Amino acid sequence: MLTAQVQEEIVPYGELLAQEAVPAALISMRDIWRTYQMGEEQVHALRGVSFDVQKGEYVAIIGPSGSGKSTLMNIIGCLDTPTRGRYWINGKLVSEMDDDELARIRNKEVGFVFQTFNLLPRATALHNVELPLIYAGVPAAERRERAKRALMAVDLADRMMHKPNELSGGQRQRVAIARALVNHPSILLADEPTGALDTATSREIMNLFERLHEEGNTIIIVTHEPDIAARAHRIISIRDGRIEKDERVK
Amino acid sequence: MNVYETIKVALSAIWAHKLRSFLTLLGMIIGVTAVVVIVALIQGFNAYVDEKIANIGAKSYSIYRFDFFKDFRDTDTLAAAQRRNPELTLEDYEYLRARLQLTEQLGARVAPTNSQVKRGTQTLDSVPVWGTTPNIVEIEKTDIADGRYFTEGENEVAARVCFIGADIAEKLFPYEPAVGGEIYIRGIPFRVVGVQARYGYVFGRPPVDSSITIPIRTYIRTFGPPVRNRWLYFIGKAVSDELFNDAVEEARAALRLRRGLRADEEDNFGIVTPDVIMGARDRIFGPIFIVAIAVPSIALVVGGIVIMNIMLVSVTERTKEIGIRKAVGARRRDILKQFLVEAVTLSAIGGAIGVLLAWLLSQIVSLYVFQTRLSLLAISIAIFVSGGIGVMAGIFPAWRAARLDPIESLRAD
Repeated sequence: MLTAQVQEEIVPYGELLAQEAVPAALISMRDIWRTYQMGEEQVHALRGVSFDVQKGEYVAIIGPSGSGKSTLMNIIGCLDTPTRGRYWINGKLVSEMDDDELARIRNKEVGFVFQTFNLLPRATALHNVELPLIYAGVPAAERRERAKRALMAVDLADRMMHKPNELSGGQRQRVAIARALVNHPSILLADEPTGALDTATSREIMNLFERLHEEGNTIIIVTHEPDIAARAHRIISIRDGRIEKDERVK
Repeated sequence: MNVYETIKVALSAIWAHKLRSFLTLLGMIIGVTAVVVIVALIQGFNAYVDEKIANIGAKSYSIYRFDFFKDFRDTDTLAAAQRRNPELTLEDYEYLRARLQLTEQLGARVAPTNSQVKRGTQTLDSVPVWGTTPNIVEIEKTDIADGRYFTEGENEVAARVCFIGADIAEKLFPYEPAVGGEIYIRGIPFRVVGVQARYGYVFGRPPVDSSITIPIRTYIRTFGPPVRNRWLYFIGKAVSDELFNDAVEEARAALRLRRGLRADEEDNFGIVTPDVIMGARDRIFGPIFIVAIAVPSIALVVGGIVIMNIMLVSVTERTKEIGIRKAVGARRRDILKQFLVEAVTLSAIGGAIGVLLAWLLSQIVSLYVFQTRLSLLAISIAIFVSGGIGVMAGIFPAWRAARLDPIESLRAD
């Protein structure tokens, strides 16, 4: 926090006027740039993205491939840091954090759901769900209890001791969702969560997201499928590294 | 993530690749086994030399015409010693025996004369026949299986009595007790008064079981005066272990006085003590032992390199896992710790298996060759070293794993 304040003070006065000191929104992005150095050339994946997400929102980020939406997702999920601009999550300025602080934010504030599930193949569903709690330093007994509850919440009470290869795609994604939720993150961040699933299973997973949203979770889904995006309450369209459209649909 | 968790994760990763882990550890196992077994062999050998050859328990010293470790270096030193050092005589013996205060018993032996020994139709050729003073039995703590040693009285009158080794007794008296029997040494009849307990073969010592001992005066009368090949030497036993070194010095001073040596002149005789033998052992075998330990130590280093190699492969293979762990909140140090602990656990397992194998091997050696000493020190050093090698082998791969980019790692297959 101290660094955040010091940073505030050295910002030029004009710029300071344009922003609040610490935004009240859950997620707050201000003029985010992400530039990659490709040999001699500079590639701008994001060119000044700004938006807020309030607690309890259900947001879809859409855009064609190469639009910068994956880069944006990585920055939202604190896997990557912006080249320029500021990013607050839950009042914490994460754009200035180092690797270990980012790991902590990923652990406490972000729950990831990936297209390819990204479960540890040799570990049971229960152990996979326990993983974030291990790095959070939760004692074993409590960890087990919480992981069980998270699995029950996604209707996998009877599959806890199964390994990922013994589960169907939909079940695997539900394990991943349980893992994302087990440490009570501020946001649930899903990257093409139905990309590897058939239509029926996709619908099942999307229903689950809807339910989680109704229970009060903040959800951000990155997708390129319009009908998945259509279930969100707000759609942010990205094109060429900029926000093209940001509309509330429900 | 605490240490217990980390070790659990490490064990499951090792268990997941059982065959690979085992093959990885082979070098380590062989290295540790070899080092521990060799140390056990060396320590066993040293104890063997101490007990059997240096005869530590008996705590006796011997006075010889030559200093074995100085004069036998080459033909020149030997020739010089032959000119300089007079032969030991029975008069020397009597002189010392009468004067030494700190030596409880001083005995004398004459080098053996090989003789033909007969009993009935049994003939044994080239049997070493020794001449000794009767008190040798006490000084050397000779174990008697049957009968007795010869007495002072028998020595005084040069009685034709003999004390025989276990093999001699077995060959000449296969069916009846040897004690009281008569044997012919060079055609002269001797009465057997005692049989020595079986001594067994000891490296570096004359074969006791197939030799015969007669009183020293009888020896001189039978074979001739104690000169040249029938060289004489003395064996002394101190009044107490504490005064052993003083007793040796007293004997040295007494013999120098008798021979009128000036202070700046070297001894013209040699005194062998257990310390001298152990010193010689260390001089001769020390370098061999160092090499014997150094060579398998190289196997340990190679084993460490193999572990490093496999850990690097493991990091590459598990890039995705590292990405997943980082995505859910593992910090660099968590990943570092995970891979480091895995390497250390792996090599510690190798060390433990090595020690176990070493224990088995040294049990087998103890059973068939000689008593080995599996020292706790060697075991702890082996485990410590293998763990240390694990750290060394683990640091680089673990560091590589820790600094992987989470986005890149998640993309890996």
